[in-house]
Amino acid sequence: MPLKRLFAATSLLFLAVLAISPAKSALRSYRSVQRHYRRVGMVRAKSLKAMRDYQERPVAIQQIWLRDFDNRVDRCTTCHLGAADPLMRDIPEPLRLHVRTAHTPEAFDQFGCTSCHGGQGPATSTEEAHGTAKDSGPPMTPAMYLEAGCGRCHGSETVPEAPILSRGRAVMARSGCYACHSVRGQEAFRSEAPPLTSLAMKTGGMWLRRWLHGPRTVDPNATMPNFYLSANEIEELSHYLFNQSVPWDLAKRIQSAEGEPAGDAANGKKLFAESRCISCHTVEGKGNGSAPELSKVASAATRGWLLAFLREPHAFYPSTKMPSYRFSDTESRDVVAYLEDELRDFEAPKEILVPLRVNQTLAENGEKLFRRMGCFACHLKPSGSEEKFGPELNGIGDKKPSSLDFGRRTDLARTLPAWLAAKVDSPRSFARGLRMPSYELNGEDKRAVVTALLSLGTQPVPEAYRFAPPRTAALVPGGPVGALIDRYRCLSCHRVGEEGGDISTAALTFEGSKVQRDWLIDYLVLPYSLRPILEERMPVLRVSREEATQLADALESFYRDPRIPEDPFAGRPGSDADVAEGQRLYGTLGCRGCHILGSSGGYYGPPLTDSGKRLKPGWTYAWLKGPQNWRSDVRCPNYGLTDTDALRLTAYLSTLRSAPSSDVAGGAR
Amino acid sequence: MRGLRGWGAIGVIPLLAMTACSRVPAVSRPAAASLPNGSYELRLGKNLFHHYCQACHGETGAGDGFNAYNLDPRPRDLSEPAFQKRKSDAELADAVRRGGAGVGLSPLMPPWAHTLSSRQIDEVILYLRALRKRTGAPERSADGSTGRRLPSVER
Repeated sequence: MPLKRLFAATSLLFLAVLAISPAKSALRSYRSVQRHYRRVGMVRAKSLKAMRDYQERPVAIQQIWLRDFDNRVDRCTTCHLGAADPLMRDIPEPLRLHVRTAHTPEAFDQFGCTSCHGGQGPATSTEEAHGTAKDSGPPMTPAMYLEAGCGRCHGSETVPEAPILSRGRAVMARSGCYACHSVRGQEAFRSEAPPLTSLAMKTGGMWLRRWLHGPRTVDPNATMPNFYLSANEIEELSHYLFNQSVPWDLAKRIQSAEGEPAGDAANGKKLFAESRCISCHTVEGKGNGSAPELSKVASAATRGWLLAFLREPHAFYPSTKMPSYRFSDTESRDVVAYLEDELRDFEAPKEILVPLRVNQTLAENGEKLFRRMGCFACHLKPSGSEEKFGPELNGIGDKKPSSLDFGRRTDLARTLPAWLAAKVDSPRSFARGLRMPSYELNGEDKRAVVTALLSLGTQPVPEAYRFAPPRTAALVPGGPVGALIDRYRCLSCHRVGEEGGDISTAALTFEGSKVQRDWLIDYLVLPYSLRPILEERMPVLRVSREEATQLADALESFYRDPRIPEDPFAGRPGSDADVAEGQRLYGTLGCRGCHILGSSGGYYGPPLTDSGKRLKPGWTYAWLKGPQNWRSDVRCPNYGLTDTDALRLTAYLSTLRSAPSSDVAGGAR
Repeated sequence: MRGLRGWGAIGVIPLLAMTACSRVPAVSRPAAASLPNGSYELRLGKNLFHHYCQACHGETGAGDGFNAYNLDPRPRDLSEPAFQKRKSDAELADAVRRGGAGVGLSPLMPPWAHTLSSRQIDEVILYLRALRKRTGAPERSADGSTGRRLPSVER
């Protein structure tokens, strides 16, 4: 009898033990989420069949397996069931429909979840998957830095659908982060900081002290960060810098310029305006801002230096973006006279440009400081050695919080994003003796930089997932034409292929197929404003006609694109009827909304008054067939014109010339 | 899976009492958590609006962009609540896609169907909705937008 009872008791116990595992699984939180999804789906289903589909959905773990992405397994959709279900648009998480991006919801199967969001794909509990549990792996990327995920695969500087990431990368390049830190793909980076060799004859001790105290308070466009130097350190560095001997030929130029008679400031003012200095510089904040603010320039540099520099900028600063204007000696004197008259700091004491009398001991200490602070990383071009001053940044986006030194910052959350944000904000707040300077970024830029940093993984993503748009190699002729392109620094503003600046909206990549040679020669000699709304305009570089012809011929032969037909009419030029029809199209399409023609029209696009003289018909046609083929972000809409209509419009635009004639008046209204 | 469920059923019998109490959904469902779906989409929409539309329609959509002064008729005030109420998303998207000429209005509004993807157009519309002027009395637009009455651009 007791044996029977014992048997009954043990079998009951056995049954209970057997039940533990299924019970545990039945109680998993995702099961109730899935049942909830089923209920919502059944209520919202549009048809009986769809309702039945929801009803019959088994409760089970869902997963996306990416075989070619390191065998990633993402089980996030176990709870986030509605991620690709349009019926779940306004349901609270975890069921809500994923926002539409370039990859979702169409391509969940290809990209999974953790490739963008981070976190622990294989986990099936919220805490473990999101990485908030104690011993789980790296957590998800916080929403405000989410575009870091885009940057893992998209390596090129600008990613159109990830504006924060793109901004972060641009800020990093402009701030010169890559001069001290190595980052994959930035091996060729060179700082744009000026060489300091002629500094002793350029400025005065007082100006230099002010600059070292806070570059951005002296010049809001400055890219040099604040090193928070003590008064002592500023003194030592100043003495070291003034102890540099100015190369003999530069010293001679500065000295002889110093002795020249004063120029005519009124003429200088005129020259300053037509040289379009503010296409790069600013004057009281007005202008492009990629070069120094000029409103106080005459209190920052001596007259002799300004004159000598203006005449031969590349001798002083070989990598500068500043073109060498072909000013005559008198003209450069006039420009500098204008700078001295109006563009100086009227509150600065007279001795701001008085050179420092060097104390050797201080200078020696300054030299050590120059090395200890890493000033050389930007100011001297590294010779041979690729050793960087700061730590490598590859992999910083994968760092574990436990491997980070939080030092004094006990106020921070122990997470990588919090650490990075603090590092970018106040780099020296972690411990004494840290050397990273402060970039004094605004909130948006800080967020952008942290996003860009979080995108730097230890390993590059698998080849199949790496995305870089095709690059067109820059083709720059050598020889005398190459020397001209270098002298006038065309590539500081214009793009050629993937190289060059983006100050100008007109890339030179297909300039030869685009504009007419004769027009180009005239334009190079005396440029005028093609886009009056922009502050950045082509400067009057005082190119001689001979040089202009040389340049135009080279552009004509080098920068051609086979996609642009030589003769879009194929030997059958447009008839008068075609021109009339083109003119009608010009009106009905609303081109006048943006383009000036004759005396009326919008201010947005370039005026078309002279388009027959300026543009080649092949270009006009190719442009009309798809403006975005030639510059992806151009605002001129693609009207989806038929070949015939595009040809007719081309025929009409080719007749437009500024000479007073009857056919100009027509299209304007 | 079916098998597992069966097992669960057997296992659950002795534990029924315990289980019954713990059947509360484990996932928290915040009461009024109707968060805007897609601040990312809204941000992209804003960028697109600033890039393509702002020159004429203005920063706030009021139809006062710098290029507006050259246009006759003037661009419409997109922020006007009455206009926003009258137009469905589909109608707005259609006007963006086919332009003014396509929907029987001024051709000065170009068609964007060949330039922007339908996803981008949806993003722009999302941002347009965010531009709706918020006045004290949102239903009556007359008092809030008297200063902005533009010559009838449309109907």
